[in-house]
Amino acid sequence: MRRLLPLLLSTAFRLALWCLLTSDLSQLNLLIGLVVALLLPRARSRPLPVRVLLKATLRGLLAIPQAFAEALRLVMAPAMVEREDSEPATDRALPLLVFLDVFRITLTPFTIVLGLEDGGRRYRIHTLTPASKEDSEP
Amino acid sequence: MTVLLWGMVLALLIPIAVACRPSDVWDRLAAFSSVSSKVALIILVVSVMRDDRMLGLVGAIALSAGNAGMLLLANLLRGVER
Amino acid sequence: MAHSLIDHASALLLGAGLVLWFWGTWPLLGTHSYLRKLHALSVADTLGSLLMLLGLLLRIPGQWPLLTLALLGLVVWNTIFGYVLAACSLPPRPHPATEQDSAP
Repeated sequence: MRRLLPLLLSTAFRLALWCLLTSDLSQLNLLIGLVVALLLPRARSRPLPVRVLLKATLRGLLAIPQAFAEALRLVMAPAMVEREDSEPATDRALPLLVFLDVFRITLTPFTIVLGLEDGGRRYRIHTLTPASKEDSEP
Repeated sequence: MTVLLWGMVLALLIPIAVACRPSDVWDRLAAFSSVSSKVALIILVVSVMRDDRMLGLVGAIALSAGNAGMLLLANLLRGVER
Repeated sequence: MAHSLIDHASALLLGAGLVLWFWGTWPLLGTHSYLRKLHALSVADTLGSLLMLLGLLLRIPGQWPLLTLALLGLVVWNTIFGYVLAACSLPPRPHPATEQDSAP
């Protein structure tokens, strides 16, 4: 079952995209979509930890309203500070998890991932934050 | 809606101006990516104004596939610079 | 009544998206550091366009499959492209601006 899960998930994802693109739920169209989804090449599948994956996806979704709040603060800010930072990576074994992390961090306007450092254990992050009072009046 | 469209075209002129003037190649690449997503959004807005589904489909495909080439180009450029 | 309310909400979202577009694209003309321009562009092209797409979605709910696909493509591609641009431009500049920058 654990071996089969990545296959199921990726096929379902591709089928959903197909249905959105064609916006047609007739049986023939679903069949064509299923064939296409199964025939497209896929990455080497390995067991996916579902709970971790769900958690990462949820955090990625939560980043969207947070991104809007940060954008508002940036628009209002009179001055900004740039600096470099780093954050520990959760798991570098699974490319999908790294992708979700990079997506979550880069989506918010305060931070952009510059790459992995320290042998892949930390993300190198560039941040741009509104200057606080002490920063702007030295 | 027409005012909105004019505003969008005005905003589109900024990255085009940046891409046309001599500057760093990375600045240009960023400007081009901005142009691509802005044009796709303008296509979508026009499709809504004219109530044309096919135009909307073009816009959606441009949004979801348009940047892939840019991605490859950026990776290629990095390889060349090294 | 409800119809005009939806129209107003969609106009508000579209206008807000346009404001973010201008705010985020303007720094491209300036002489700020490259990464700072990328931060601004992510505000304009991802978040501004997201607001605009939501405004369009309110206007034509019948086309939701298409607009949802556009939404998904926009958010994922633009974000990842911002990351790729930032990461790829890095090697020739090992230490991009860490100085304090105070714009007016």
